[in-house]
Amino acid sequence: MGEVYVEEFMSPGCVGCPAVKNMLEDLSKEFGDQLTVEEVDITVDTTRASQYGVMSVPAIAINGVLKFIDVPKKEDLRNAILEEMEREE
Amino acid sequence: MPAEKEKRIGVFICHCGKNIAGGLNIRDLVESSKQIKGVSFVAENKFSCSEDGQQDIQKAIHEQKLDRVVVAACSPSLHLMTFQRCGEKAGIEPQFVDLVDIRKWTMHGSPQKTNPEEAFEKSKSLIELAVKRMRLKRLIPMAEIKAEQSILVIGGGVAGLEAGLDLADKGYNVYIVERLPTIGGKMALLYKVFPTNDCAPCILAPKTAYANIHPNITLLTNSEVKSVSGHVGNFNVNILQNPRYIDLDKCTGCGECVEKCPIKVKDEVFSAGLGERKAIYIPYDQSIPKKAVIDAENCLYFQKGVCRLCEKQCPTDAINFDQKANSVEIKVGAIIAATGFDEYDPSPKSEYGYGRYSNVITQFQLARLLDIDGPTNGQLLRPSDGKEPKRIVMIQCVGSRDEKANPYCSNICCMYALKHAQIIKEMVLPKAEIFICFIDMRTVGKGFEEYYRRTRELGVLFIRARPSEIVQNTETKNLYMKVDDPEIGRLLKLDADLVVLSCATVPSSGTQELSQILGVKLDEYGFFKEMHPKLRPVETNVRGIYICGSAQGPKDIPDSIVQAKAAASCADSELRKSKIKLPQSLVRASQLKKGDK
Repeated sequence: MGEVYVEEFMSPGCVGCPAVKNMLEDLSKEFGDQLTVEEVDITVDTTRASQYGVMSVPAIAINGVLKFIDVPKKEDLRNAILEEMEREE
Repeated sequence: MPAEKEKRIGVFICHCGKNIAGGLNIRDLVESSKQIKGVSFVAENKFSCSEDGQQDIQKAIHEQKLDRVVVAACSPSLHLMTFQRCGEKAGIEPQFVDLVDIRKWTMHGSPQKTNPEEAFEKSKSLIELAVKRMRLKRLIPMAEIKAEQSILVIGGGVAGLEAGLDLADKGYNVYIVERLPTIGGKMALLYKVFPTNDCAPCILAPKTAYANIHPNITLLTNSEVKSVSGHVGNFNVNILQNPRYIDLDKCTGCGECVEKCPIKVKDEVFSAGLGERKAIYIPYDQSIPKKAVIDAENCLYFQKGVCRLCEKQCPTDAINFDQKANSVEIKVGAIIAATGFDEYDPSPKSEYGYGRYSNVITQFQLARLLDIDGPTNGQLLRPSDGKEPKRIVMIQCVGSRDEKANPYCSNICCMYALKHAQIIKEMVLPKAEIFICFIDMRTVGKGFEEYYRRTRELGVLFIRARPSEIVQNTETKNLYMKVDDPEIGRLLKLDADLVVLSCATVPSSGTQELSQILGVKLDEYGFFKEMHPKLRPVETNVRGIYICGSAQGPKDIPDSIVQAKAAASCADSELRKSKIKLPQSLVRASQLKKGDK
C-alpha cells in the first residue's frame, strides 16, 4: 500500500469545509501513517489554490491531483484515497 | 511497489541575506532536512533567487540527478515562478518544484516573526510536508487549450473603459458590462477633475464615445454578471441584462417620453439625492447609450396598471412594457474587474448630523451641485432653503483613517476638497468663506502640492483639527461647531451655512457578491485583493482575472488609468498566443462536479 497526500483546500467561514475536515480526520485515524492531510487556507496560500485552479472551497487534491470540488460523499473520498494507495506506477 | 522510492528530491534553503539566516539556525535546518525520506541532496544559498543561487540549484539538479526540488525561502506568490523556471531550465517539470515560505517567521517586520527556536521547528515541519507532497505528487500532463480571443470587463467607469479600449484596439472582442443604464462611472459625475480642473465629462467623452462605436466592443448596460465558470483562456460567463423596457434599436434619445412622464422621484444615483428625475429617464445628456430607461419600481403602469403616457408620446414606438430580463452567455479568455468605489455613507458618524441636518452634505453631493449640468445647474444652493451659502466648512477624513470606520487613507479626499474649494472661489461664489478642517493634507502626486498652494492663495483657510460635534439651529438651519486649532492654540467657534464631509472611498456595493462569483479574494477592507501588493498589483489569485482602478483600493483617475493599462497588458500577454498550456488539473477543475473523480 502506497502513501497518500491529501491537500484540503479551505477558507475561514466556508460552510462545507468543517464536514470535509471531519471526514479526513476519520480517514486519518483509519489509514494512520499512510495518509497525510494538509489543510490549505486559500486566503493565505493563494498561489497553491491558483495553481490547482481551485475557485471554490472545499476542494480536495489527492497526490497532487484535484479530485473533488464541494463536499464529497465520504465513501467516494475513501475510495479515491484507497485507489491512490493501491495504484502502482 | 510504487515508484516514489526512486524520487530524488533536492532541498535548497535560502538565507535571504540575514532575513532568514538571522532568525534561525540554517545549519540545523540543513541537517534535519537530510533526514527526510526521499531527500537526496540539501544545500544552502545566500540568495537562492540570485543568478548564483539559481545556477547552484541547476548544477545540483544535473549532478545529483534530482527530479524534484523544494526551495525553503520566501512567499510562493513572490518567487514560485522564479524557481519553477529555474528548475525547468535544468529539465524539471515546473509542477515538481515547490517553494515554502520560512521567511515569514524570521524577517524583521513580518507579523508572524517569532523566536529562533520556534522558527526552526515551524520551518522544519513545513519542509517535511513539502518534501512529502513533492515525493507523492503525480505528474499531471499538461493540456493545451484554445484561448478565447475575447475579454470581459466588469464596470464601465474610466478604468474599465480604458482597459476595454486598450484591448479592443489590440483586436480582442471586448464585452463591457455595466450595472447602471449608462457607462461613464463616477468620473462622469465629478464635474471637474484635479489638478487641471478639466471638465470631467468632456475628457471622459472621447473614451465613452469611442467605446460606443468601437467595432470590437459590445456594451451591456443595465446588466450584471451572474456566474462565471471555467479557467483562464476559457471562462463561461452568464450575464443578466435587466429590462430597460425600451427597444434600444428604436429609441433615439429624444426625451419626449421623459417630458410627458408624470412621476418625479429623487435621483439618488446621478444627482446624489439632491435632484429629481422622472420614472422614465435618460441618466444625463452625455449618457452612453443615450437611451431612455424605465424605473419599474416608480412607474405608474408597473405599479398601478395605468398611464402609459410615454408609450403614447414616443415617436418611434420604442417603449416595450413586456420586455423581460435577458440571460446572455459568453465565452471569454480573461476577465478584468473594474467595479470602482462608493462614497462612504457618513450617517453612522452621528456627530456630524448627516441625514439629520439638511445642510450637511458630502463632497460627491457638492460635485453634483457645482456641475452646470447637475440638479441646480451649477448654482451652489443650500438644500434647506435654496440660498447661497456664505460660509462653508469642509471636514476631511470622514470615515477614513478612523479605527471605528475605515482605518485606511482614502487617497483622493484631500485633493477633491481642494478642487471644490477652488471651483467655489474661482467660479461660483468668490466671496464665500471656506474652511477646511483636516488631520493632514496629503497632496502627493504630480502637480498636487502646487494645487494645494494655489488653493491657499485663493484665501481658503485650513484648520488642523476637526470639530467633535456639529449643532444645528433649528430655525435658520445654520450649523455650529467648535474646533480646537493647535496651530494657534485657541478654541475656534465656527458657524457655517453649509458643511461638506470629505467621505471615505469604500468598495462599490456588490463587490462581495462579485468576489464570490469570480473566486477572487477581497482584502480586509473589502476591496479586491491583488496577487502581490508591490509586484503584481493587478493580478489576482485566479489566473486570467485581473483588477484595476478603485476596485483594488482608493485611487485617483491617473492611477486608475495606469492600472487599467496594466490589467489590459496582463490579459493580452496571457491570450495573445491563442493557446495556453495548463495543468490538466486546472482544466479538470472547471469540469468537476460534486462527487466526481
